[in-house]
Amino acid sequence: MSPEYIAAVINSTLRMTTPILFAALGSAVCSRIGVFNIALEGQMLIASFFAVVANYFTGSPFISVVAGVASAMVISLVVGILQVKYKAADMVVGTAINLFTGGLTSFLLFVIFGIKGTLNDPKLVPMERFNLPLINKIPFVGTIFDSLTFLDYFAYIMAILIFIYLFKTVAGFRALSVGINKEATESLGTKAERIQIGMVVFSGFLCGLGGVVLSIGQVTLFTENMTSGRGFMAMAAASLGMSHPLGCIAASLFFGFAQAFGNVLQTTGVKSQLTMMVPYVATIIALVIFAVKEKMKKKAH
Amino acid sequence: MEAKKTNYFVNALKTIWDGIKQPVVATFLGLIVGAIVILIANISPDINVGILEVYAELFKGAFGSGYYIMASLTRATPIIFCAMATAFAWRAGYINIGVEGQMIVGALVATCIAVYMPGPGIVVILVSLLAGIVAGGLYALLAAWLNLNFGASLVIITLMMNYVANYFASYMVSFPIKDNTVTGITAQSMEIPADARLPRLVTGNTIHFGFILAILVTLFLLFIVKKTIFGYESKMSGLNPFFAIYGGVKRAKVMFLTMFLSGAVGALAGGVEVLGLKYRYIDNMLASGNYAWTGLQAALIANLNPVGMFFTSIFLAGLQQGGAALQRKVDLPLEISTIIQCSITLFVSVKFTWNLIKKKKMQKAIAEGGNK
Repeated sequence: MSPEYIAAVINSTLRMTTPILFAALGSAVCSRIGVFNIALEGQMLIASFFAVVANYFTGSPFISVVAGVASAMVISLVVGILQVKYKAADMVVGTAINLFTGGLTSFLLFVIFGIKGTLNDPKLVPMERFNLPLINKIPFVGTIFDSLTFLDYFAYIMAILIFIYLFKTVAGFRALSVGINKEATESLGTKAERIQIGMVVFSGFLCGLGGVVLSIGQVTLFTENMTSGRGFMAMAAASLGMSHPLGCIAASLFFGFAQAFGNVLQTTGVKSQLTMMVPYVATIIALVIFAVKEKMKKKAH
Repeated sequence: MEAKKTNYFVNALKTIWDGIKQPVVATFLGLIVGAIVILIANISPDINVGILEVYAELFKGAFGSGYYIMASLTRATPIIFCAMATAFAWRAGYINIGVEGQMIVGALVATCIAVYMPGPGIVVILVSLLAGIVAGGLYALLAAWLNLNFGASLVIITLMMNYVANYFASYMVSFPIKDNTVTGITAQSMEIPADARLPRLVTGNTIHFGFILAILVTLFLLFIVKKTIFGYESKMSGLNPFFAIYGGVKRAKVMFLTMFLSGAVGALAGGVEVLGLKYRYIDNMLASGNYAWTGLQAALIANLNPVGMFFTSIFLAGLQQGGAALQRKVDLPLEISTIIQCSITLFVSVKFTWNLIKKKKMQKAIAEGGNK
């Protein structure tokens, strides 16, 4: 195994991490303010779809990002209103929204393009991939950061910004306090429900970016249900990362690696049906190992 | 006397209405969402359909004739099993969203045995269904064990296991048990021999013996819920785990048994679908059919009530069957059914709202009364 090969795997890991990291941050901010958001998957999928639609008609990746993110925010607003304002059960809303977006995107795919399954058109313009100046001249490191998109970097910037917001600002403290004791903060005059709904919409913004990366960043096409469980993996990542933005980075990198590893296995001749299982099995194993560690910590205290 | 009688009658009607008010109103609102989506679809130059025309075709394709009714009942069969499987776990507080995976495992095991086991048909049928049930139950049990022993989230684990099961089944039908006699794009297993199939109920229709089994499972769940100690214990664990433990309910035992049964019923959905209808396992056939998720929504819409779930499943199956007919006739994609179905579920989910509005009004009234 040459160093170049390892660098290429790391590069692939970084690419695979981005959508999961965005969604994991979305999951984390929701659980921090006391909302269990299971609709991440649907929020991502709708963004993947509308990014491709906007891309097809305008040819502009920037407008695609805006359209994708906006659609995800609309869906998350529905989630927020139903769960926070109308106290609807999170599992019910989450599963219904996920299935709803699957149906809606397939429906619109046919209505708009007359296509079932996959839209893969030469008209679609991928997001720009660029190399960092100077760094791309360094042999090993250059390969690691080879041809990433702006969003691949932005995910980490976002994690740091959320960290600063939550733990270093007054508004962040107020949001956290809603998650700890909603009634108490309300009695102090904080508009708890507004903060909660706002945060769910923010999770829509994040998941939207994740969905956009999937459809016009990694590849340039839309396939029915192309998120294939990433929203749930992101939930696992957020819980492994203790809903801490920096913890989310570490956990998401693990899931990104699991996907990259699956792809590597495929090149060694293992059947693709089996390599596709890798990220899902990795999620289960990671959850179990993490839970064991937590248990031992508790026992030690 | 006369007045009293009508009173009883009115009261009875009122009780029934209170029970079904929520789903009925939600269905109406769901159809309105569907109508809006149809209007939006009309923007496309290739699609030109009226809302009423669509709904008329939808109804015709679902329950318009004996043939269509039978087809809808055939489609409802696995959905009923899945609804019962979901309800089994959920009412005990165990959020099993892995019914799809359990169904796939059941179908795969049942297929393997039905295709390769020699012997008289009836024996093969019994063995393959039972083996499927046990496999699916164990698959659910594994999730329960991981949750109870390690505290890993049951929601995420059961969901991940759906994908694992689907890809594993995909591998199996692509290589070890692949039918090499036909060349097609989609991988599939060998066909089950004629004597190891579940009988059809009506000649010329697809409805099969599995539908009878679905009715039996509904009655079985009804019996467990109403008449057994286990049903009571499992419900108590769902309502208040601490109270249940305090009351002497062994949590692990109840959880394992509940999840095993939930997985077993889910697996039966898969086994019956193979032995009664498809006669082979085709790659991705159970995941792409959305049976498990439709069953889950039926369970939620009917508030986990067995009889309610039975009829809701048939209704949703009809909606999908009608959607398929719609696609053939007016070129509107069948996903319109999914959209309506999910909207109904979402509208049912806000049931607490009504009570909440009532409460707020009452609080307001009390507050105003106090001021005076």
